[in-house]
Amino acid sequence: MAEYTLDAMGEACPVPLLRTEKKMKDLAVGDVLIVEVDHSCAMKNVPEWARKEGHIVDLEEIDEGHWEIIIEKAK
Amino acid sequence: MSQLQEQVQLFWKAVLKDPFPYWVGGILLGFLNVVHFVSTGGAWGITGHLAHWGSWTIEKFGAAPAAWVYYAENSKLLKQLQGGFLHDGGSLLDVGIVAGAFVAALLASQFRLKKIRSFKQAGFAAVGGLLMGYGARISFGCNIGAFFSGIASMSLHGWVYAVFIFVGAYIGSKILYRYLLD
Repeated sequence: MAEYTLDAMGEACPVPLLRTEKKMKDLAVGDVLIVEVDHSCAMKNVPEWARKEGHIVDLEEIDEGHWEIIIEKAK
Repeated sequence: MSQLQEQVQLFWKAVLKDPFPYWVGGILLGFLNVVHFVSTGGAWGITGHLAHWGSWTIEKFGAAPAAWVYYAENSKLLKQLQGGFLHDGGSLLDVGIVAGAFVAALLASQFRLKKIRSFKQAGFAAVGGLLMGYGARISFGCNIGAFFSGIASMSLHGWVYAVFIFVGAYIGSKILYRYLLD
């Protein structure tokens, strides 16, 4: 179970979502991807997309306006 | 902490910090649109007023935009141009959008100065912004003036706009994938 990170800091919609979609294809089931964003619309649409895909998602605000989206590939 | 305090905290978190669900935003926009129409007698628009900002700026340098076809053949736009910034409610609303977003980010403690991540992305964003602004003016409306206000007033042009949003988003995402994602 590997852990990957994706730095999407400073990127605006829809770039963080598109990059997350692309990156998730490289992961095996059980792997975890941590996406770092500082764009409030990405903090909404990235977890929304990942949950719709059936993955396990957790969102943490680690600093003012800076989030980590933790996605575990479930299928 | 008492139960009441906890409830109050949860309430403020939902109002100030968490993003509103889309349906709440939709209801608020619909309600405020009615307020706007009743109080001003016209539909809400953004970019028409931004264009005036440019016109007022170049007037200071001696240009005469009032003589341009864009203004000369549209009495409403001409009146707004001649009235000036403080008499143009739409311009004040545009300032309000930026000020409101700023205050909302502060209240949610999410305000943050961001670094420019990549000059390639920033360049594409600037070119895209100019194209959007130019397109909004030659078609007399952006996604608010043409799409939102168009559909709200049951005008066909709003629905035509809606179809082409999907065409534009499709082409835009292809360009993004091809040139901007690493």
